[in-house]
Amino acid sequence: MARGRRIVITGISSPWAGELARRLERDPSIEFIAGLDTEPPAVDLERTELIEADIRNPLLSRLLPSTEADTVVHCGFLWYPAPGKPDRALHDINVIGTLQLLAACERMRTLRSVVARGSAAIYGSEGAAPLFFTEEMARRYPLKTRFQRDVGELERYFENFARRHPSLTCCLLRYQPEIGPDIDTPLAGYLSLPVVPTQLGFDPRLQFVHSSDATGALEAAVRNPVRGAVNVAPSGTVSLSRILRIAGRPSLPIPHPLFGPALAQLGRQLKMGGTYNDGVRLLRYGRGVDNTRLRNELSYEPRFDALGAVRDFAGKSGSRRIVPVPGPRSVADVLARR
Amino acid sequence: MEARRTTATDGRSVAPEAIADFLRGLRKGVEEGLGPLSAAQRAATGMPESFREALERGAQRLRGEYSEDEWGFDEEFAEAVTPGFEFLYESWWRVKSAGVENVPAQGRAMLVANHAGSLFPFDASMMAAAIRREHPMPRWPRFMVLDWAFVLPFLSTFMRRVGGVPANPDNATRLLEQDEIVMVFPEGVKGTGKPFSERYRLQRFGRGGFVEVALRTRSPIVPVAVVGSEEIYPKLGESSVLARLIGAPFVPITPTFPWLGLLGLVPLPSRWRIEFCEPIDLLDHPPEAASDRQLVFDLSEQVREVIQQKLYENLVLRGSAFI
Repeated sequence: MARGRRIVITGISSPWAGELARRLERDPSIEFIAGLDTEPPAVDLERTELIEADIRNPLLSRLLPSTEADTVVHCGFLWYPAPGKPDRALHDINVIGTLQLLAACERMRTLRSVVARGSAAIYGSEGAAPLFFTEEMARRYPLKTRFQRDVGELERYFENFARRHPSLTCCLLRYQPEIGPDIDTPLAGYLSLPVVPTQLGFDPRLQFVHSSDATGALEAAVRNPVRGAVNVAPSGTVSLSRILRIAGRPSLPIPHPLFGPALAQLGRQLKMGGTYNDGVRLLRYGRGVDNTRLRNELSYEPRFDALGAVRDFAGKSGSRRIVPVPGPRSVADVLARR
Repeated sequence: MEARRTTATDGRSVAPEAIADFLRGLRKGVEEGLGPLSAAQRAATGMPESFREALERGAQRLRGEYSEDEWGFDEEFAEAVTPGFEFLYESWWRVKSAGVENVPAQGRAMLVANHAGSLFPFDASMMAAAIRREHPMPRWPRFMVLDWAFVLPFLSTFMRRVGGVPANPDNATRLLEQDEIVMVFPEGVKGTGKPFSERYRLQRFGRGGFVEVALRTRSPIVPVAVVGSEEIYPKLGESSVLARLIGAPFVPITPTFPWLGLLGLVPLPSRWRIEFCEPIDLLDHPPEAASDRQLVFDLSEQVREVIQQKLYENLVLRGSAFI
């Protein structure tokens, strides 16, 4: 084909979509990149054409075909409530937006693949679950939080869409939560608190995707999409207590029924509006997913394993080891003066 | 200074002056802007070796520099709690084990045992202790734990750190594919929850899921008979009200629990025997045989019979239960 690839990215204001656009811009074989969002992107983009549009707008079905894109990357699926975007608005954007976007995709004659950035929350966070979920283990447990149900709806629409259009390659990436020195998520904020509340008696196994791997996996999926779901996660897991030790943060264990309300109190500081139920469950039971399909089929080898991602986050995010100030110093003072 | 150092290294206990020295050094370090850990390490240069090592190890743990595998198993933690289990093994239950060499020194294997101990089943920990103490090539076995334990605070964390995983075929399969030793208890809750009068009578072995996993991963099955575990908390009855209240599968009533409160949690000092039997090799069957229901049931029954017979043999060998 003489023409280069033409790619549309939704949710361009999010850091992962912005970073993806920046990486794709460097590739001359990609002829055209468009970014769709209601807000401007967080990073400087050179040749990405910005389209100010809401994916919930029915106009999308006229706008999208006019781009003559061959690939649509759906990054407009929001993970975290934000000020001005509470839980309910999130549901609206995630569910109605996805529905509207997929409807518009049906009108695109040039389309060959759709890549969506979903979430591993579809597996849930359960105490007694398999410790490594593979792609076919989705929906083993009832979807308990609003975010999980949103992800469930996204997946259902996406599966239906893929079934109705067998000629298109539909790739759904199930992301574990992301951290990195350069991104700002409520979980990163949580891990950077001066004293980190944890749930008494629980020490979840966690996997955080390093932000560079998150973009890398998305890029790999855009370049070489595979059909169906792919988990995006680092290899290995790290327990929360170890993460906090690596980050040099003292933890404050509180009884788990009080953890949710406490997290809600901290909400403003963590840049999230209201309770974040999904985080509460994740920080109680944790979740591990298997990344074999990412490595073998999408051929993306994560640069960081679970421990490496945490180390990099702790080392670079300017989170300084906090000296428990009054502790050893004053004790040493008193005792040594004898 | 010189004299002080010799006293510190000679005696088992550290002289008070040495402690003061250490604290002075610590304060100096902190004042110079070092973190508390590195200051402590620098101040400890004059202290005896064992103290420095312990401090070093403690500091490493506090910095998160310790190994923890993808299952959350923490070898240092498991080693740290070993003395407690050794005491139970040696003095409390006076465990005698036989056939430990039937556990392969390397590669995957599934250990299948009877399950008992209504309040808190100790059989996995004692089997692990037998392998750790008496096997020529000691390994850390992993074990399947009743799901309910993994939603509880403290217990879930503890189980995970010493090598437990929630009991389901996915976890067992992945562990065996990583060439681990996996201990499974196909009786499950039916085993731990059986009344005292039914002791050493094996319950149904689930649906034979363990055989399916062993066939699919081509792992040998080592049947294990554990005698003694069924007397530690003799279950006389159960309280369904309490069970429903806390969401437990069952709450047993024993001669001491719940009457004596926390004291009722002390297991009775029965005498134990653990026999590891000859491995049953499944290599004759292709992995696809896992979907052959009849074969799975037959193999499951075969394993069950071996364990039942060995239980009776070891009961005779043991003689009286407590003395």
